[in-house]
Amino acid sequence: MTATDAARKETFRQGQRAILPSLPGAFAWGMISGVAMVKGGLTVPWAIMMSLMVYAGSAQLAALPLIVAGAPLWVIVTTGLITNLRFVIYSAALRPYFADEPWRKRAALGFFMTDFTFTRFMRSAQDGSLPERNRDAWFAGVCANNWVTWQLSAMTGIIGASYVPTDWGLEFTGTLALVALVGPSLNARPAVVGAIVAAVVALLAFPLPFKLGLFCGALAGIAAATLADYWQQREPPRTPEGA
Amino acid sequence: MNEGVSGIALGVVIVGLALSTFVTRTSFLLAGARFRLGSRVEVALRYAPVCTLAAIIVPDILLHPPAATIDLSVLNPRLIGALAAGLWLCWSRNLIGCLGSGMAAYTLARLCL
Repeated sequence: MTATDAARKETFRQGQRAILPSLPGAFAWGMISGVAMVKGGLTVPWAIMMSLMVYAGSAQLAALPLIVAGAPLWVIVTTGLITNLRFVIYSAALRPYFADEPWRKRAALGFFMTDFTFTRFMRSAQDGSLPERNRDAWFAGVCANNWVTWQLSAMTGIIGASYVPTDWGLEFTGTLALVALVGPSLNARPAVVGAIVAAVVALLAFPLPFKLGLFCGALAGIAAATLADYWQQREPPRTPEGA
Repeated sequence: MNEGVSGIALGVVIVGLALSTFVTRTSFLLAGARFRLGSRVEVALRYAPVCTLAAIIVPDILLHPPAATIDLSVLNPRLIGALAAGLWLCWSRNLIGCLGSGMAAYTLARLCL
């Protein structure tokens, strides 16, 4: 093994360690998706197949009632596409960091990118803790641990679904895992402004079909946060605030 | 439960959904160096995670069961659970504690209120 290989391996391991704190959340979210698919009416082999191939909890949960109701293919796929629209934004945000990688690697990293791995990557990109070299290996480490955890938990949920009572409200753990994911990012004023606007617009636009409300909320929030960021940059620095 | 959905049609649906994930996730990554994003766009994208997650979480907490009216009442068990989890997060970054306290508060509120 050459020195470069060893360095890449070490960076991969750093990535694996970086995602550790959010793995319990990923586990909860995967298990809930697994339980929901079987409770929703999929047979165990098909549920496993779906988890392995789609690897997107929110799109799977959104599509499930449509599948069970026998909705037309294009309606189900459109719902999946719109639920996944946020990944287009994520993909654009990741692009500058991987622009020099071969397309195969970009495709692979894209496939394994989720809410959890993307948020983790961007946090390190912003606080400067991202390694200078081998960013692809670092992100691959983040994604590998997240993928294994999510798939294992989905399998656990799929196989154990018949033992889980529906009235435990376990699906709420998924929401809480996302709360824990977003919490640390709310440390700057533009982020808070964006989150509030996103939440209000998503609430008001909720009746829109295909989960479009989610996308509208995200877009409005991002616009508001960008404006707030712009104004903050123009404002003269003030005396330190209390607290 | 005994009679699950299966068959070729489901296989096609799964492939379609898998494509919807793949196409969205790799879109800009594969479009590659063909065009450059301005610095303003890069600032905007920095706020993408927090805004998208807020747009997922808040309706999930306030509009339950889905498609119901907005439930801002202090007796909403999901709101109580999320507040407990948020408070725990302010105090410690421990995720297990956050999930545990949130679920405990949610379950208590659901059973007692």
